[in-house]
Amino acid sequence: MGWAQMTRVAWRNLWRNGRRTVLTLASIAFGLLLAVLMTAMQDRNWADMIDLAARLGGGHVTVQHVDFREAPTLAKTVTGVEEVSARALADPEVTHVAIRVVGQVLLSTASSSRGAGFVGIDPDRESPSTLGIIESLVEGEMLPSAEGGGIVLGAGLADNLRLTLGKKVVYNMTDRHGEIIAGLARLTGIVRTGSPSVDNGLALLPLNTMRQALGYDATEATQVAVFIDDQRRSDEVAARLALTLAPTAAALPWHTSQPQLAAFIAMKVGGANFMKILIAVLIAAGIFNTLFVSVTERMREFGIMLAIGYSPGDIRSLVMLESTWLGLVGLVVGALLTAGPYLYLNAHGIDVTAMIGEGNVDVAGIGISPVMKVEIFPVNAVFIAVAAFMATIAAGIYPAWRAGRVAPVETIRLV
Amino acid sequence: MSEPGAIVRVEEVTKTYEQGRVEVQALRGLDLDVYSGELTALYGPSGSGKTTLLNLIGALDVPTSGRIAIEGRDLGDLGRRELSHLRRDRIGFVFQAYNLIPVLTAYENAETVLALQGVDAKERAARVGELFREMGLDGLEDRRPDELSGGQQQRVAIARAIAADPAVVLADEPTANVDSETAERLLDIMEKLNSERGVTFIFSTHDPRVMERARRLVRIVDGRVDGDEIRKSEPPSG
Repeated sequence: MGWAQMTRVAWRNLWRNGRRTVLTLASIAFGLLLAVLMTAMQDRNWADMIDLAARLGGGHVTVQHVDFREAPTLAKTVTGVEEVSARALADPEVTHVAIRVVGQVLLSTASSSRGAGFVGIDPDRESPSTLGIIESLVEGEMLPSAEGGGIVLGAGLADNLRLTLGKKVVYNMTDRHGEIIAGLARLTGIVRTGSPSVDNGLALLPLNTMRQALGYDATEATQVAVFIDDQRRSDEVAARLALTLAPTAAALPWHTSQPQLAAFIAMKVGGANFMKILIAVLIAAGIFNTLFVSVTERMREFGIMLAIGYSPGDIRSLVMLESTWLGLVGLVVGALLTAGPYLYLNAHGIDVTAMIGEGNVDVAGIGISPVMKVEIFPVNAVFIAVAAFMATIAAGIYPAWRAGRVAPVETIRLV
Repeated sequence: MSEPGAIVRVEEVTKTYEQGRVEVQALRGLDLDVYSGELTALYGPSGSGKTTLLNLIGALDVPTSGRIAIEGRDLGDLGRRELSHLRRDRIGFVFQAYNLIPVLTAYENAETVLALQGVDAKERAARVGELFREMGLDGLEDRRPDELSGGQQQRVAIARAIAADPAVVLADEPTANVDSETAERLLDIMEKLNSERGVTFIFSTHDPRVMERARRLVRIVDGRVDGDEIRKSEPPSG
């Protein structure tokens, strides 16, 4: 029998028990819906977190002194940062570059002292694309320039220091020679991100003021933050950039410069993959059940078919085609079922602020948006589709084998 | 002893089944030759071994001892795949309960064996169309088995059995599930196919109408041939 006819027969067999087939298709479709939305939520959230971390920290790729990771002191600098910046921007995947000085600072007012992390920035070369917290300014204004005596603080930090706009704060830090230096700044702006680690522990200071205070020259900084569109390409971009750097500088992809975040995401991805395997097993179990029951009910028919000249291979192929149909139709139904919720959640997301409380959306030190949107990487969508389809095929193997093993004389009262 | 030239040759065949702890000897050294163009009815009491014999001739089961050959090919020498091809190409089956494939139309059921043989669609349409006309199935081509009467289903089953021009058609109680009028019609058709097309039939039956039409009557008792009677002259070949 030709494949076309066999395929037609398989399709009709699928609908001999329509209710059972519909239930099976529903289980496949629902499984796909779960797998796609779960993956899409992760893809989007992880990408957002990585982007946020990049915009808060050192970019998707961080150029810094080779020893900075092991000994993060203000003595470990990169020189010739303008050339580094220009070379990075020459890479077609690089969208933005920011030069920064980062370190630890002790902030003191008349009433309180607090330790914090600081980032020395040139506001003319920063934007929300490179420094996300710019969007979170709730009072005052950003630093006017890379010079001057302004400071921007997280809202919690300002509260703890009992500092209001225009008031002075003393900063102390250790310079490259290990000497303690001090400076005076006036609060120009307050940011509130919702992330406790940012709001309670971050200060922005003018880049050139920091350079002068720390004894850096004009082409020296602790960090060149490099930004790209797709964080998944950070390894490749870092590798290319590393080829252009002096031996004392290193280009680190985000997962190396932010190992805590990378470990957190890896752990979550591992858990999610386990869930996806579970979903695939459930889908396969549903299909297996349908096909096995269907095959068991048709043993006599298979016996007749073998008697009139079908080969065991024909019978096996027929059952495998039924499994293939289930998989294909399941994918189509799954896609239709998933499209609506996916598009809605992609556009609007779910606001979980009420569930977790404002100001608590912080993972591995990275603030994330309380509005959970979805956006699946195409490669993951293809993977889910292929995995679901392969699960349906795998589920058909045993029933097909069983059907091909029918002994006609045992299932029919001859002829 | 067997004579040369038989389409079906059964030599000293025994078949023993185990039913629980009991050993049942269904056939006890049975010999039978069936020749081209014969309309042979196997009859005998229930449990005499008729069905077992048809199972063995149809290559659906294997004998405990002895030899069965179809057109000179010893079934014991054939593998599973060759036996499938033999059933497909040289043996037709008509089942008591029709046993059409429920998801196929009458036409598709009738052409199934031809399709399995790889006969092209045009040739299939010509052969099945001619059979449908001969058997009064015109206009029923697109009906599914559950939309056909018992007699119609059995006619489609006969068309399926003979469409590929097999060496022999094995029919087990083909009239058992239909009324008298339908039974007569089915027998008319099979008799006509036998006399005009030279189709070789072997029936297993209790039905006196079938025995009346048969050209050869083989009585089976206790797993052996107890009587073999040629009742009418053979039809002209072809």
